[in-house]
Amino acid sequence: MLSLIFPVCLCVGFAPALIAQIPAPGTSSSMVTGTPGSGQQDSLPNAPSSSTNPPSLTDLGLTPEQTQGNAKEQALLDKRTHMLKIHQRMGLITTVPLIATVIASMGAGGKDTSTASRDLHAALGGVTGDLYFITAYYAIRAPRVPGTETRGPIRFHKAMAWIHGPGMILTPILGIMAFDQKSKGEKVHGIASAHGPVAIITAGAFGAAVLSVSVKF
Amino acid sequence: MNKRILIAFLFVTFPIFAGADSLWFLRESTLTYHVSHPLHQTEGVSHGAKGKGVCHAGQCDFLIAVPVKSFDSGDSNRDLHMLQVTRGAEFPLVTVRTRVPESAAVSATINVDLEVQFAGQTAQYKQIPFKVEIHGGETHIAGTIPVKLSDFKIEPPSLLTMAVKNEVPVHVEMTWHHQ
Repeated sequence: MLSLIFPVCLCVGFAPALIAQIPAPGTSSSMVTGTPGSGQQDSLPNAPSSSTNPPSLTDLGLTPEQTQGNAKEQALLDKRTHMLKIHQRMGLITTVPLIATVIASMGAGGKDTSTASRDLHAALGGVTGDLYFITAYYAIRAPRVPGTETRGPIRFHKAMAWIHGPGMILTPILGIMAFDQKSKGEKVHGIASAHGPVAIITAGAFGAAVLSVSVKF
Repeated sequence: MNKRILIAFLFVTFPIFAGADSLWFLRESTLTYHVSHPLHQTEGVSHGAKGKGVCHAGQCDFLIAVPVKSFDSGDSNRDLHMLQVTRGAEFPLVTVRTRVPESAAVSATINVDLEVQFAGQTAQYKQIPFKVEIHGGETHIAGTIPVKLSDFKIEPPSLLTMAVKNEVPVHVEMTWHHQ
């Protein structure tokens, strides 16, 4: 009789202790135990032990959904970060020909401009446009994380895209029109005369977008 | 007769010896990580921690868990990036375990050894000082855990090719209720 009851008592009394020793969800056997600073693996003098009933994650009211890892979501985040890193890198690279195009524009317009300076400006503008659209591709195609509300400086960064995006389409079109008129010896006229102002607004919006996520205001 | 008394004794005493003497429940918490970058000083705050302490034979075992995604830096893009570099979807919780003598609850300062599980790694921090204030039936503790990204094998994120500092101290403010 006693031998039957005794194991039952043990199970009742120590069940939480047994449960607590089960590895917590979200952890894995590949975890490395390290001691920061010393780099040694040693046990702490007052580290928790399983001799009593230390609390477990289920004691905290956490559901398995909250404690279990989601490899699919991690893969989505990894892909998103990878694409946005390329976006960031390409955006920074794009600023170089963009600034060069703006500087070259000073010799591309006016009465006494040479064909060479116009060609240089047009070539730099073309490189800028190509790099810009590669940059935009990585931002547009980066996967969205469901349930995420956009907050902070990234809102301004995204809002600027509504200005420099159309601007990057419009600027080269107006530039080609202006280039043709100038090549024919005509004074730049009509809608082509908006090339300069549109380009300045576009470059300004692009610069503001870069700064908004780079420098804390 | 003796056997019956023994059985009755075991029934009564086993749950008493096996059960906790007292319990602690985490009432409120504010955890703040601080990230340093040449162009930014950023803080992420979480109020989402859950915790419990079980005291037995003069020793209290504490477990605190906080979802990685509960940290809010005010920038959703940064928070998602933080979630990615810390592998927060794969390992959604930061857990902290410690054992404290029950008598320490009345001290002005306690030094505790912490075992932190984060990003699939475990790190131990020794003798971390926490200030203790008792207000009525609640105990408020505050301190800073000197977390380093390398402790958890996290590659420091970079912006404009400049990486953030390895040191990411986490300031802890907690209010515990003793039962």
